[in-house]
Amino acid sequence: MARKTPTFEEALAQLETIAEQIERGEIGLEESIARYEQGMALVQQCRDILTRAELKIQQLQERADGTPELTPMTPPPESS
Amino acid sequence: MDLTMARKPFDPFKVEAPPTGGMLVPPGPLTVSQVTALIRQAIETSLPPTLHVVGEVSNFKRHGSGHLYFTLKDAHTELSCVMWRSDAARMKFEAADGLAVVATGAVEVFERAGRYQLYVRRLEPRGVGALELAFRQLCERLAREGLFEERHKKPLPVHPRRIAVVTSLTGAAISDILRTLQRRFPAVEVVVVATRVQGPGAAEEIARAIHLVNAHSAALGGVDVMIVGRGGGSLEDLWAFNEEPVARAVHASRIPIISAVGHEMDVTVSDLVADVRAATPTAAAELAVPMLQNLLEDLSQSRSRLSRAIIARASLGAARLDALAQRSALLEPVAFVRRRAQLLDELSGRIGRRVSQRGHAARLRLDRCGPIVRRIAPHAFFARTAIRLRDARHRLERGIGRRTADADKTLARRSQRLDRASPEHRLGLVRQRLLREEEGLARTLRHRLECAVGHVRRQEELLHALSYRRVLARGFSISRLKKNRHLLRSVSQLRDGDRVVTELAEGSFDSYVVPHNQNGLFD
Repeated sequence: MARKTPTFEEALAQLETIAEQIERGEIGLEESIARYEQGMALVQQCRDILTRAELKIQQLQERADGTPELTPMTPPPESS
Repeated sequence: MDLTMARKPFDPFKVEAPPTGGMLVPPGPLTVSQVTALIRQAIETSLPPTLHVVGEVSNFKRHGSGHLYFTLKDAHTELSCVMWRSDAARMKFEAADGLAVVATGAVEVFERAGRYQLYVRRLEPRGVGALELAFRQLCERLAREGLFEERHKKPLPVHPRRIAVVTSLTGAAISDILRTLQRRFPAVEVVVVATRVQGPGAAEEIARAIHLVNAHSAALGGVDVMIVGRGGGSLEDLWAFNEEPVARAVHASRIPIISAVGHEMDVTVSDLVADVRAATPTAAAELAVPMLQNLLEDLSQSRSRLSRAIIARASLGAARLDALAQRSALLEPVAFVRRRAQLLDELSGRIGRRVSQRGHAARLRLDRCGPIVRRIAPHAFFARTAIRLRDARHRLERGIGRRTADADKTLARRSQRLDRASPEHRLGLVRQRLLREEEGLARTLRHRLECAVGHVRRQEELLHALSYRRVLARGFSISRLKKNRHLLRSVSQLRDGDRVVTELAEGSFDSYVVPHNQNGLFD
């Protein structure tokens, strides 16, 4: 599993940090704008994750040798 | 009488009359065996094959063989009871002394001991159902061990990425859970472990599935929370979740577990041990994930904060730019140039004056030469030199042609030099130089002015790019008082009847302030 994308919490924390850096005015205007753009990209990334439309469902089984086996699964039909 | 005859089915309306007199009693003294056989025959023929006996358990013993031996008693009498291992295994609860029960079975004679006993096929607690009692008993035991204690409850993650679901693939629970997750938070990954959820062996399967998820959590990329449960059913259907293996597995899980068994009213041991109990599988899914909308709101807040920060930062830059612009050269470039031009005029005037002063001095010196010339006595000088002149004339006339030409040239040169040295000429030169310098200065100023204007324009573009218009584009608006264009930051700036101009990303509109009650804006 690729763990490259930050979790939602991590992303929010990063956004906080960037906002603080800009608010404190310790970094220059150019740098601030660069950070701002970085932050906006992060926002977009989070939004993309959050607005993923389809649930990813997998079924877990154990093979005879005790290793896990994941198979994609479609939701069972509605049993109302 | 045949002692091995089959029992007749019991029918209270067809109870045969006791076969008094009909009993075949051998004459003479009877052996113990004979008496016992007679008693047995009497009991077996006159009592129904199935009796329900109410009593209190005492002298309860579980034999090593698995058979149960106990006495049922009431206020006055006692009845010996036996329950074979095969029947005892079907019991859901633990029998114990003092328990009020209903025992179902048949009375038979244990010939070797000369005793009649109730052979119990089913034992049920009186007042509560067997399952209910078993539930209470397991609860008591697990509570004594501390399995229900709050300190074991793990908090649920706020933003899970991966959720495991342990339930049946054929039940209503799985589709309820998946539908709810899809509705609330499709960004999550679901790992389903299929198990049976009722019937013998279901509890062990569920326990195994919980262990499986824990064991492979890392390989799956980390399971954040697990939902264990099933849809509604009878107490018997839900029973697997009241069994000890499930309770132990839930307790041992490192991954937080939401237990969701049956409906609102059903509480199972699994529910009590789990970190969180959900009333239904749907509720479990709701507890497992946050509402997507809330996360988007959080995100939106972070984004606004970022925007506010950058706008504030840009304003700071703008303020510094303003301060820079306050410097005269940039504030009023034309005045700046004019001042320089004035200085230029002044300088050129001074130079002109200086030049004419020098010309005047030169004339004065020329005037002073007059008397000196006169003192040289030109007449005598001319007479003496007349002869030399005559002599010379011949020589001159000879060489005159050439010399005249030479002299002419020299004269012209000298006169030219004199011309150049004239004050008018030098003034002209200075004027030209001044003119050139003026042009140069003007060029330099124009260039610097253009640079400054270009810089201001670039900064202005930058500011504009970051300005509130971009905030407006995201749906915010800016309101100003119509009369003085003051920006509205507080309601305290407003008086009834004030006209307000509100600027949106696209266009603007006017509105009037109307009196409103204390309750708020949106009442």
